[in-house]
Amino acid sequence: MERRLYFLFGDLVSNAGVGALVGLVVAVLVGETWFPVLGMVVGMIAGGGVALPAAVVLSVPFGAMELMLPVMLTGMTSGMLLGMLAAMGATSSGSAGALGAIVGLVVLVATYVLNAYVRASHRPGMGC
Amino acid sequence: MDHATQRKWDNAVRGYDLMNGHGPERRWAPWKRQLFEAMEGKVLFLAVGTGQDIQFFPPGREITGIDISEGMLAHARSKAERYDGRLELRHLDVHDLDYPEATFDQVFTSCTFCSVPDPVNGLRALRRVLKPGGTIGMFEHTGSRCFPFSLILDLMTPLTRRLGPELNRDTPANVRQAGFVEVRVEPVYLDVVKVIRAVSPG
Repeated sequence: MERRLYFLFGDLVSNAGVGALVGLVVAVLVGETWFPVLGMVVGMIAGGGVALPAAVVLSVPFGAMELMLPVMLTGMTSGMLLGMLAAMGATSSGSAGALGAIVGLVVLVATYVLNAYVRASHRPGMGC
Repeated sequence: MDHATQRKWDNAVRGYDLMNGHGPERRWAPWKRQLFEAMEGKVLFLAVGTGQDIQFFPPGREITGIDISEGMLAHARSKAERYDGRLELRHLDVHDLDYPEATFDQVFTSCTFCSVPDPVNGLRALRRVLKPGGTIGMFEHTGSRCFPFSLILDLMTPLTRRLGPELNRDTPANVRQAGFVEVRVEPVYLDVVKVIRAVSPG
């Protein structure tokens, strides 16, 4: 796990910020009358579209792959979840931003745990 | 000389240090420093770029740094002059290495084989100039076997390929295919960023 405060801070702010931004964008984009699966797909695409330029910009101060991969995953995951909820009329813009930020933090913690597992148990030829 | 690749990296010079010189270099500094600490004997450093990795070279070593981009090397020269050791920079394509066989004791690379157009032949060229038993040490990012990271890297590669690197290569497999032995892989971040060490067979 990353232990340097500067990068921990960068990871937290980047993932929470991008998650919140994607949540807001998707809440505006996806209509309440949409079919939920369509909302998920549109949300995922929109989330990836928002996360990609954000990841490129944020990687300048906070690092490359370690920043880009969780941020891209945050964008796509929060986009899917918020897209589905928006299509079901189950979220407002404010709560979509907060929920997106929470998704970003969950994704970040999950990648930290996975990274710790991969580094602790790496065996050549094994999968992830 | 692969002029298309040369042009691509000459064009990438502007903004290269801004994009890569802060976050990525600081994030990866401990691992790079540890990898390059093992430099001994006559060392070839492939793709020295704008010279960002020179700060991690241990002092007092004899290193030849090559790069396909003259524009990149122009930025690297001032950093090379400050290096406390022998560091020669040359404008060379890995596919056109003009050194005799078995010239170098070690070869090092840093985020290089995501970009070499023909990675297996590039690695074979490095094996040719390495002495039997000589080692290669690589700090590289590669593709992932882990979903959803594999999907993300596959989706991003068509875009990043235009600007420079490919994000979904299997560099350890390329190292083995090029004939290196005793290939050891140490993950740095997930199964994406890694240190690869291998030996040129006798």
